Amino acid sequence: MKTPLNHLHTARLPAIFCAALVCTLVFSANVLRADETCSSPYLARIDGQEEFVYVWTLGVEGMGDGSDKLVTVDVKPGSPSYGKVVSSSSVDGRNEAHHGGFTDDRRQLWLAGLESSRVFIFDVHTDPAKPKLTKTIDNFAETTGGAVGPHGAYALPGRVLIPCLSNAKDKGGKTALVKYGNDGNYITTHWLPTKENARGASGVEFADGYGYDARVLPRKNALLTSSFTGWNNYTMEFGKLTADPEAMKHFGNTMVMWDFHARQPKKVFQVPGAPLEIRWAWGDKHNYAFTATALGSKLWLVSADDRGEWQAKEVAPISDVKGGVLPVDISISADDKTLFVDCFGDGKCRVFDVSDPQKPKQIYEKQIGRQVNMVSQSWDGKRLYFTSSLLARWDKQGADNEQFLRGYAWDGKELKPAFDLDFTALKLGRPHHMLFGSTKIGANRTTVASRD
Amino acid sequence: MLRIVALAFILLSGRLTSATDPPRDSDYDYDPPAAGSYSLPVIKPSADGALLDSNNKSVKLRDLTRGRITLLSFIYTRCAAPKACPYATGVFNQLHDLSVDDETLAKNMRLVSLSFDPEYDTPQRLAAYSDNVRDQKSGCEWSFATAKSRAELETILAAYDQAVDKRQNPADPQGPLYHTLRVFLIDREGRIRNIYSSGTLDPRLVVADVKTLLPENARVSKQ
Repeated sequence: MKTPLNHLHTARLPAIFCAALVCTLVFSANVLRADETCSSPYLARIDGQEEFVYVWTLGVEGMGDGSDKLVTVDVKPGSPSYGKVVSSSSVDGRNEAHHGGFTDDRRQLWLAGLESSRVFIFDVHTDPAKPKLTKTIDNFAETTGGAVGPHGAYALPGRVLIPCLSNAKDKGGKTALVKYGNDGNYITTHWLPTKENARGASGVEFADGYGYDARVLPRKNALLTSSFTGWNNYTMEFGKLTADPEAMKHFGNTMVMWDFHARQPKKVFQVPGAPLEIRWAWGDKHNYAFTATALGSKLWLVSADDRGEWQAKEVAPISDVKGGVLPVDISISADDKTLFVDCFGDGKCRVFDVSDPQKPKQIYEKQIGRQVNMVSQSWDGKRLYFTSSLLARWDKQGADNEQFLRGYAWDGKELKPAFDLDFTALKLGRPHHMLFGSTKIGANRTTVASRD
Repeated sequence: MLRIVALAFILLSGRLTSATDPPRDSDYDYDPPAAGSYSLPVIKPSADGALLDSNNKSVKLRDLTRGRITLLSFIYTRCAAPKACPYATGVFNQLHDLSVDDETLAKNMRLVSLSFDPEYDTPQRLAAYSDNVRDQKSGCEWSFATAKSRAELETILAAYDQAVDKRQNPADPQGPLYHTLRVFLIDREGRIRNIYSSGTLDPRLVVADVKTLLPENARVSKQ
């Protein structure tokens, strides 16, 4: 059978090939490496530097309007309002605002409430400086067949994947991945594998059915999930929780590798101590992802071995502080060389050289605040943003309960403060997840995109 | 120039994954799941709309998305972004080539390339584009069409959640329009069952998806 090349206009091929090659090189030179490094590869990227940081903020009773809100901060260099809040849009009540994510075209920002299981959909396309609430999903548990605790939203083509933390039946840790269309309509639910129903996955002896993060490596058709704890635990006062040995047994100790296209679990890994955020490396041949265990204070690597089999391995401790430092968020640089690790326990960001992913080495640490939770990094690695709140009932008390968004510049050696917003003084609440916004949106960044 | 570059990418796309047996490569470095070993939940009904085909004939989008398993790609012929329209059309060319030797695909699969640039992509231009990018005359149906009017187009784009914006620089080397690549898999009943982007438009996955849907309401369309 003829191939497209040997059939069609063969005489023109050399000239066309050269034109394509030249064009590819021109496009490569023009691609501005922008955007945060931890976003979905299916997400339309920001061309140039981020202009806004969207902060999904937990409401605090008696503070301002007391409601959860989406706070928009101007981070355009040279802007008169640089480092200032330019808009704030409140939602109904307090929902344990936690994580969110854009749709693949970056026109909508979906923000989830862990306690109420409501999902708020904002239009960030019409006016990126002033997002507008357009829809609220308030029947999540009923629609999804009992999944609760939507943890965020991960862009897939034309859809969002919502990893959950709990279930409506017993509000424990057994949970599901849920898919919605970009139009806000429910599509389907995939429950995480358990010992009783491994759904064909190996490692069934470890399967606990818990969930937290979900991230895709497109060129390997790999979906990786991690695990935290259920509604009963994350809505409990932190002191009470840690004093309850039975409750402390109910944390996730697993990660699961899925066939992404088929949405079928393939292998359950034993990763003790609540593995939370997942960060796939970006390099074309870097078949690995990092996670940090919150209770174990360890860095773990999930990587393909010489036979292409996925394996999970502990690769480094995160500090030698007795009792751990509660690492809660990680951010990998676009060149896969540096990993920033936020530790809620002591409020420090620890920076690891992960050039050799099997042997991470801590190279720097910085006191960000008395508590620190999320970290977001620009694609060029020069700017990092930090927020303070973990969960409404887990944040520190008294003077240690600092609530901030802090911007820093990173020069490869140290973090230098750029701006500091006190969310308590501004009567906004507890800032949690950050996402980057812009008026300049380009194409998505997938494995095929790496050719240009 | 843009058209030449776009065609070049289509040809290169065809070469990167050959027609007869699309191989595993660095962008799709995995074994695809076996057809029928998984399910494709309904995403939503596919929308209708008034179109003009490349013969300047009025057609309904509904008639191009019912009765066969349809792959619907939103494109514009001036697109030179390598991971967008040229890539999608290159994959369609591979699927079309595959259907030449696969009677089941030839009888049950349909390809639709729908332009969202009706002012430029006239039926005449679409006919010429079709001649350029289609390697085989036989094989499954492959229709090229555009919306009958700008108003009709806007309705269709909204229904399929297909974002299209004008670039600030109309002479942008990647083409005058910016859009998210969307290719829709539509079952015989007209329901959307998958949505692909450049990162998931692996011809092997598409074929597996089409074959997964084949047993559903299996009735061969009119020849």
